[in-house]
Amino acid sequence: MALNLGFVVGILGVVILSHAAYSTVQYRGLLKIMEEEFSGPPLNVVVELLLGLVLCMWAALTVPGTFLSIHPHSEENRIVSLPANLDFMIFNHRARVFPVEMDLNLKH
Amino acid sequence: MGGHNDSSASEKKLSEAANVVPTLNAENLQSNMKVIYYSRTFMSIIGGVIAGILGFTGLTGFIFYFLVMAVTSVGLIAKAGFTVHSYFDSWNQIILDGFLGGLLSFVLFWTFAYDIVHIF
Repeated sequence: MALNLGFVVGILGVVILSHAAYSTVQYRGLLKIMEEEFSGPPLNVVVELLLGLVLCMWAALTVPGTFLSIHPHSEENRIVSLPANLDFMIFNHRARVFPVEMDLNLKH
Repeated sequence: MGGHNDSSASEKKLSEAANVVPTLNAENLQSNMKVIYYSRTFMSIIGGVIAGILGFTGLTGFIFYFLVMAVTSVGLIAKAGFTVHSYFDSWNQIILDGFLGGLLSFVLFWTFAYDIVHIF
């Protein structure tokens, strides 16, 4: 879910950035009509760019995944789950019907 | 599991023969490096687009790149919860890794956005 939300935020940031680019293109067209020089983008474009930067930064930090601990004995790296095939593990086998001859071996 | 740790330790020995004591989980370290790499690449692309729209030329754009990368580094460190050594080997990996590759992407998208917005 976190990945999905970050992805949506990233797309929103890219859309905002492209809208800012489009606004700048229009602004330059306006300047061309008014025959003025371009000194810098208008304030709303700058605000839009900052907003897009923040959203994309958030997406860039959340989408690629979480960091995993590299300590071999940390809590996350301990495997506490049992194997899935416990039903197929058999601890009974034929050897239990044979008498235990441990003592005989020890005597000889 | 024991076998898992042994295999990662042998990987570690293969990659860095100098380090004798296997104190790292090399698989998770690789995964963390991949996360760093993705973040940096995406942020350099976005930074390039923003520098192009803002109309930066020359040295200003490169200073902007350094700023964006510094902010990204701070963000990554904050993502690691300010305990870098439980996720990475050294500080260089979180601060410097992917810097030059990101610079190439940055210049590409910087010129691309600048051309689209300011020249055409």
